[in-house]
Amino acid sequence: MTEYRKILRSELRGGRSLPLPGLVLCLLLALSVLAMSGCNRSNGGAEHSAMGQAAMDSTLVIAMLGDADYLNPVLGSTVTSGNIMGLIYPSLLQTEFDTTTGLLNYMALEKKLREVASSQAKKTPRAAVARSWQMSADHKSITYTLRNDVFWNDGKRIVSGDFKFSYKLYGNPVIASARQQYLAELVGADKGRIDFDRAIETPDDTTLIFRFYKPVAEHLALYHTSLTPLPMHLWKDVKPEEFRHSPLNLEPLGAGPYKLKRWQQQQQMILVSSRNSNLPKPGTIPALAFRVVPDYTVRLTQLQTGAVDVVENIKPEDFTALMKANRQIDIKTVGLRAYDYVGWSNIDQEEYRRSGKVKPHPLFGSPKVRLALTLAIDRESIIDGYLKAYGVICNNDISPSLKWAYNNRITPHPMDPARASALLRAEGWLPGPDGILQKQGRKFSFVLYTNAGNARRNYASTIIQQNLRAIGIDCKLDVQESNVFFENLQERKLDAWMAGWSIGLEIDPLDVWGSDLKKSRFNFTGYVNSRIDQLCELAKQKMDPTGAKAYWQEYQEILHRDQPITFLYWIKETQGFSRRIEGEELNISGTFYNLDDWRLRPSAALTQ
Amino acid sequence: MLIYILKRILIAVPLIFGVLTLTFFIIRLAPGDPAAFFIQPGISPNVAEQIRAQYGLNDPLPVQYVKWLANVLQGDFGRSFSRAQQPVFDVIAEALPITVTIAALTLVANFTFGILIGIVSAVRQNSFIDRFLTVSALFFYSMPEFWFALMMIILFALKYPLFPASGLNEIGAESFGPLGFVLDRFWHLVLPVTVLSINGAAGIARYVRGSMLEVIRQDYIRTARAKGLPENVVIFKHALRNALLPVVTLMGSSLPFIFSGALFIEVIFAFPGMGRVTVEAIFARDYPLIIANTFISGSLIVLGNLVSDVLYAVVDPRIKL
Repeated sequence: MTEYRKILRSELRGGRSLPLPGLVLCLLLALSVLAMSGCNRSNGGAEHSAMGQAAMDSTLVIAMLGDADYLNPVLGSTVTSGNIMGLIYPSLLQTEFDTTTGLLNYMALEKKLREVASSQAKKTPRAAVARSWQMSADHKSITYTLRNDVFWNDGKRIVSGDFKFSYKLYGNPVIASARQQYLAELVGADKGRIDFDRAIETPDDTTLIFRFYKPVAEHLALYHTSLTPLPMHLWKDVKPEEFRHSPLNLEPLGAGPYKLKRWQQQQQMILVSSRNSNLPKPGTIPALAFRVVPDYTVRLTQLQTGAVDVVENIKPEDFTALMKANRQIDIKTVGLRAYDYVGWSNIDQEEYRRSGKVKPHPLFGSPKVRLALTLAIDRESIIDGYLKAYGVICNNDISPSLKWAYNNRITPHPMDPARASALLRAEGWLPGPDGILQKQGRKFSFVLYTNAGNARRNYASTIIQQNLRAIGIDCKLDVQESNVFFENLQERKLDAWMAGWSIGLEIDPLDVWGSDLKKSRFNFTGYVNSRIDQLCELAKQKMDPTGAKAYWQEYQEILHRDQPITFLYWIKETQGFSRRIEGEELNISGTFYNLDDWRLRPSAALTQ
Repeated sequence: MLIYILKRILIAVPLIFGVLTLTFFIIRLAPGDPAAFFIQPGISPNVAEQIRAQYGLNDPLPVQYVKWLANVLQGDFGRSFSRAQQPVFDVIAEALPITVTIAALTLVANFTFGILIGIVSAVRQNSFIDRFLTVSALFFYSMPEFWFALMMIILFALKYPLFPASGLNEIGAESFGPLGFVLDRFWHLVLPVTVLSINGAAGIARYVRGSMLEVIRQDYIRTARAKGLPENVVIFKHALRNALLPVVTLMGSSLPFIFSGALFIEVIFAFPGMGRVTVEAIFARDYPLIIANTFISGSLIVLGNLVSDVLYAVVDPRIKL
């Protein structure tokens, strides 16, 4: 025993007799790392933490799930990119969402599309490059007058040529911008090739004219002509084929309230207030840090410890613990933009793939069967069990936040298993010996697919399975990797699935419900109703969006009646905020809607 | 030995090439589309087509293969689809130093503590300390890394806020000066390296214990004791050297780990290392990046095995290559 102790002591003294001297070196290195880390917290800790505190007091830290793809408005297509580009780049117009009507408003410095109640108006038009605009009487052209006092960060003036140059980039097929749809009404687009010389004219530096091949409603014209510009003087020599990998993408030159200081890809992005900006003004908080924290639990922990100030999409089940752990946290919500649904294939997809013919699906082909399925599902339970106050029953895909178009007269289908069973019986579905409904020898049995990694949908699908089992329907559950799931949806290979949509603020649902199944790429259910196509078309022709209200109301009634899918619930996105932030206005158009106006209370004030 | 090494390297070339060819076809035949992100309402259907054309995905598979082959033979593995079209080796060059730092620190801690615990367990076989170490080692060895990491974060970043929960540096770490910056980096590395090394050391400890127990029962150990050598010389000079032979192979096989990264730890602690690069590339169907990563890990596995074999010959004169 004594001998063994000796061995251990010799080992602890430095392990002189270790056969691999490298190991000793390694051990020392590891110990020194630990020692230095400790010293960092103890000896040097005070100084370090004071400096860190100072940095934290002037820096707002936002946790992000993933990094931005590009900080180039022609290419950037992720939500993170959008948030950051909105702070860096100038914009032709300022948009604001009017919560009393649910309409988008567009503002130039001296003109607004519509007047909004002063209590609602939160945005200043000073962020717009346009001074005003004029829509032609035939709605086939729009002329902007630009300000002459706005500059890129390098001091060069922002001119109409920058916008024309940028639109050419947006429309270039080699660049393949995700926003080329915005150019779909420009002159020449109907013939497959935009004639930029005629479509966009710049008679002088402050005049910008867009011409359309057909009459376009004013709000749509404003929406489609206000894409973010790039500085022409910087980008003009970059070849289209090199555009996506140009080094300029890493050093965006903007004119907005913030500019990029450093971008450590996949780690963090630091923006600093741009002192010379007059679009609308330098950002109030001196620095913004967007940090990539891929793991949800860690984002939550960091919000609790104060290491980050904003975390998006907090799950309702974590609210109580979060608020209890740190009273300096607020949970805020934005409007209803996202909903989950259960998709039922309306058509026999195999037959459609084989012959192109549209035949009803053997299980879900009848609207009455689909209505029965909706009646069988306890949507309230899903909301009560998971989303709680942050979920609202969904009747169709027009959000209650879009008040001008939303149909209040529609009452949600209640959970009514007895009526569901009666409807199914009337359709010929009768219980078999094993209790599962049968019709002409076919059991009512199917697989409900969903994508991996979504706890909310997993929860809902289990309840749906139980609800359907109660009326004699056998529903099996399967989870697929997101890419595979999406590909199967596109190829219309799934009979039943659970997914969700996030809606735009301009209503345009034809991609999802259009009867031409070849053109309507997102009509995964194969729902065909020519009246829906007509209504969408009629609504588009209205030059004032509110004039289309009657069409959208009828549209909602049809969807409510036909139940092409079972609409489950709208989700209120919930964001966690540190209370040291002041002045934040969350809005359906985004969590960071007025980020340039936010203020930070110093940490000392918080502890008091 | 030099001829042996050259031979092995020559054999490795077609092997790695075969792995890359297989990967090329498997990822292209798997479901999923690199342009899938651009298929959503509000985005023109042309965009996905244009993106596919840019990536050369509209050609028939054999044509794609021949083009890819021609590029690879010139050392061009292409540009990443998902990371702003950076050359794939630039993406890897950014991620690699982070992964190597974590992995090297982890390996040092792994082997140091693993060997120490293994020796103690073996020389005190069946004692309380042996049982305690064995149970603890098994406990940590069987614990999922991601769960352990989250528990460590909850304990040491939330309940007792001693260490940061994620990231490589504090906000504003640049103002700390070079030494402060490095210290801050180390401070951020404590939790992840601890998680990784506790898990790994436990495995190595079991290995060393088994190997050590086998060796200390050998006749030459009895002889060494009989001729009156002090116990520490017997254990460290005679026993440990021989017991470490199988551990040396472990070092070789750890080589791919150093470069391929520890995925869960990188995701949880928000380190942009190789593990994350690889998995994100797979989810985004970023073919060039997947192939480049396969190339690196494939080469390292082959190299690691070669290093193991050579190390064997170096540490054990009985083995001739």
